[in-house]
Amino acid sequence: MMLSTTGSTAPPDSPLLDEVRSTSAATEPRRPRTRVAVRFGGLAALVAVLALMPSTLSATSLLNVQSAIGLALFACATNLLVGYGGLVSFGQAAFYGIGAYTIALMWLHWQTSFWVGFIAAPVVGAAAALLVGLVALRTRRLYFALLTLAFSQLFYVIVLQQTGFTGGANGVFGAILPSFLVDPNHAYYFTLAVAVLALLALWKITRSPFGMTLRAIRENRERAEALGVNVFAHQLMAFVLAGLFCALAGTLFVVHDQSANPDLLAWTESGIPIFMSVIGGMYLFLGPALGALIYEQGRDVVLASFSDWQLAFGVMLLVIVLFAPQGVLGLLAGGRDAVWRRWRTLRR
Amino acid sequence: MTLDNDIITFLSAMTEASSLFVAAAGLTLVFGAMRIINLAHGSFYMYGAFLVTAIVGAAGGGRFWLALALAPLAVAGIGTVVELTVLRRVYRRDHLVQLVVTYALFLILADLALRFWGTQARSVAPPSLLSGSVSIGSSSFPVYDLFAIGAAVVVGLALWVLLQHTALGWRIRAAVEDPEMLATSGTNVPLLSTTVLAIGALLAGLAGALASPLQSISPGLDASIIVQAFIVAVIGGLGSVTGAAIGAVIISLFDTAGVLWAHSWEPAFIYLAMIVVLALRPWGLLGAPER
Repeated sequence: MMLSTTGSTAPPDSPLLDEVRSTSAATEPRRPRTRVAVRFGGLAALVAVLALMPSTLSATSLLNVQSAIGLALFACATNLLVGYGGLVSFGQAAFYGIGAYTIALMWLHWQTSFWVGFIAAPVVGAAAALLVGLVALRTRRLYFALLTLAFSQLFYVIVLQQTGFTGGANGVFGAILPSFLVDPNHAYYFTLAVAVLALLALWKITRSPFGMTLRAIRENRERAEALGVNVFAHQLMAFVLAGLFCALAGTLFVVHDQSANPDLLAWTESGIPIFMSVIGGMYLFLGPALGALIYEQGRDVVLASFSDWQLAFGVMLLVIVLFAPQGVLGLLAGGRDAVWRRWRTLRR
Repeated sequence: MTLDNDIITFLSAMTEASSLFVAAAGLTLVFGAMRIINLAHGSFYMYGAFLVTAIVGAAGGGRFWLALALAPLAVAGIGTVVELTVLRRVYRRDHLVQLVVTYALFLILADLALRFWGTQARSVAPPSLLSGSVSIGSSSFPVYDLFAIGAAVVVGLALWVLLQHTALGWRIRAAVEDPEMLATSGTNVPLLSTTVLAIGALLAGLAGALASPLQSISPGLDASIIVQAFIVAVIGGLGSVTGAAIGAVIISLFDTAGVLWAHSWEPAFIYLAMIVVLALRPWGLLGAPER
């Protein structure tokens, strides 16, 4: 199923920042080792800074960063489809919500521990994604976006209407978390650890022969087909993996909010990871994560001073899409490449 | 259940279908000519409804007809501005960019509506001419609902005449087929795009205005109508106005059947209908497979 036809894969020289669609990457020679070291160092420093947050930030700010980390995973998982697969799913909130509800409902109805739900949630998310993907992937492009949106709305109204089982509009809340995760610092470290491990796994997936084939399909579906790639199987696999990681991100929502509510599955929620990807840069692996951080922190700043968050966010989206389609991280990477080239020519 | 009741139920479904059709017709017309799903179409609908409440309120009540004429025109104006400033930049971009841009417009317009009209739900009384009800056998049915159905039929006929029998109509149909050929044969395609979007916005505003006495008007109307409108348009086949009419009737009948027979599952019905149709015919009932 994960048949690769792209031959040998490029050496993984740029950890977590591999350019998915860069006009310069194809012509550039292999990057020097010093640069790789700089990037590894930068990422290690980023994780170290995030790990030090509990001792420096106030409780509220820490919760905000924790929320942003969970959303970063949600956005990067969605970007496996949108950025890498070229599959614009407007229904990933369904799997995010399924992740949260799996824990909450198992706790509510069968009194299972959080940890059982935490293991079950990604499995349920992947299973739901398999069923949705089997139908939705029969359509293409815009129709795929609309059909995934319809599926997520279907889940949404079912959760909203089946009040007896799901708690309806009120959602599920209560002492879902085990005593270990009630401590805010523990909850934060748990979220950070899960997100970092999941992002590493996602990165490995995007760099694998499977990930390369997925990009090849995005670039030229007919050619990939002609080369013998089973396009449907690859896209279905991507959809299932995205559903799995989105559900995992949903479990982090429970760790943050100690609840699950129907709004998690609404179609407007499905837009959020897509916008995070667009803002941060959907053709860089960590772009969506940066978008999540900008979204969460930006909302706090705007709400504190200006109140119309949607207005400010909408304007920011418009400006980025129209004038900087590579996103904020894309802009930064472009600037860094320019500086790097200049430094190298000066050194010669 | 008696025959009278069946007729009333059917007419209620058709009332729901009437504003759905007008909204979906605008959406599908814009998609047909420009290949763009305009999520801000839902905002246009909500603005149509809110503007009616504003005009009726400002005129001291009773100016419903004035509001019904002015609100859609004002919304068409908003649509023209949006097209000239933003949308015309994204016709050639991929559908992700188009969805994100129109969603950004949706968010901006939603917050502006909150600024103008607040979070409070509003309502409008139908004009005195249409405020009573007619008796059908032993039951009665509101006159305004009949007016809404009639108005939707008139809009449908007007669109048919526009598309089939006017120069603007054949240009729009040609734009659906081959915009480049149209441009080389002397049509001002950017002007045509602006016109089509203005007509689409006009229809959205008209749908919102027509439906304003039928429902409570509050923020969030934009998000609910856009989903319903695109479901109708997608089931009928994006780009087909006739398809939008068929889709509106199907969805409304499904909805009514759901309310009658499976109340707690009723909201799921329209999504199931769309999923089934798209799974069997990915381009909708009357749509053409995408090139």
